[in-house]
Amino acid sequence: MPGQINISARQLMILTTLYTVGSAILIIPSGMALVAKQDAWIAALVGVGAGLLILYLYIKLAALYPQMTLIGMMEALLGKWLGKAVGLLFFATFFINAPVAVLFYLGNFMTTQMIPETPMPAVNILFALIILLAVRLGLEVIARSAELMFPLFILLYISLTVLVVSNVKLENVQPVLEAGVGPIWSAALSFVSTAFLPHIVLLMIFPASVNRFDQARKAIFTGSLIGGFMLVVVVALAILVLGPDLTARNIYPSYALAKKISIGHFLQRIEAIMATMWFISLFFRITVYMHSTVTAIAQIFHLKNDRQLVLPLGILLVVMSIIVYPNVPYQQAYDTKTWIPYSLSLGLFFPLLLLSIHALKRLGTKKNNRPDDKHEDRGEDGA
Amino acid sequence: MLPKIANVLGILLVAAAIIMFEVPYMRKKGLKKELWLFSILLLLGVGLSSAKALSGFIPTPLDWITAVYRPFSDFLTHIGLIK
Repeated sequence: MPGQINISARQLMILTTLYTVGSAILIIPSGMALVAKQDAWIAALVGVGAGLLILYLYIKLAALYPQMTLIGMMEALLGKWLGKAVGLLFFATFFINAPVAVLFYLGNFMTTQMIPETPMPAVNILFALIILLAVRLGLEVIARSAELMFPLFILLYISLTVLVVSNVKLENVQPVLEAGVGPIWSAALSFVSTAFLPHIVLLMIFPASVNRFDQARKAIFTGSLIGGFMLVVVVALAILVLGPDLTARNIYPSYALAKKISIGHFLQRIEAIMATMWFISLFFRITVYMHSTVTAIAQIFHLKNDRQLVLPLGILLVVMSIIVYPNVPYQQAYDTKTWIPYSLSLGLFFPLLLLSIHALKRLGTKKNNRPDDKHEDRGEDGA
Repeated sequence: MLPKIANVLGILLVAAAIIMFEVPYMRKKGLKKELWLFSILLLLGVGLSSAKALSGFIPTPLDWITAVYRPFSDFLTHIGLIK
């Protein structure tokens, strides 16, 4: 239950890094290279900048209600029943769009690239089992396992970058800004919508379950910054090594990148080891999503105990991950046409709406009790 | 047809295992609301996965989200932010 569980700022930073890298490291370079061609790395940098602005928005929101989770904020700002209804709608749609979709990516990645003869449900069920185990054990265990996995993740990431550097061809990024700045905006938007806008779900963890607010705020920023730059480097390497055309044509360019590793015809075919990196980041992405969903349901219905919901939700997770996307073209069309507006409305307009409601409310209370100008509402006044 | 029935039986077995694992605790502690939500979610999950195992095709809920967001996504396409 939130409030009783506390994770440290350091753990939050690591969790945020892994969450930011998440599924983005596998899928982002392809879509960005399709739109921005050889300038995708510039777009990724722009995306990191925009992402930090978005995080600033979330932290503003969190600072207003330092004891509450996202659901608590909705209830405080929108009123009890409207808040609950909006929260339920938010997490119901988010469930099929985020954890389920990421599990689909994982299953699709495994069955198209690594073990093509295994049926996708088998992969998804196995991976879902560890996720359910982690979610059932709770946030503290998730945070500690993130700490434990982080060195391995960094080691694999650094070895990928270092080993692939010898294949870099500088002419792949030239000419810089050939098509002008136009395509950069749309590529940056797709970067932000996959890597940063889903951070709104971190508000289920961040103000309420972290012990020191100031440190935690810094942890969120550093974690996202590290994760963001890891993504920028992967996008840049994909463009530099594979070239914009091949990057756009691969569904998983970073895996194609790992296949390029060949040191003296001796150190090669290590992409399966590199895949460990994606398992780690995808695992934490889905786990954080599932943890937030379970906590949200528990808060909306005022449950005493939320662990009992994990296994039934797990069945839903697995079955939905098989039926959400009928095929890969559907997934690609959905991810550009609908996911971007969807994540914009959830991750940008919705917190803006909450902040403006808060501002309006404060205006109202200030007018009512003029004499005490020291009145500082911290969200206790509710609806 | 036979393997399909076997799949459904497998799903039911998993559901039964989950019920045996979780329900006694909730009954002992008198967690009524939890039991309700648990049953609803489990029923939904078992229903969907059995339907998937039997018929093989279920329309995705993403179609509805796509329909709801069509005006917004058309607008973004129009101003050139989505390709």
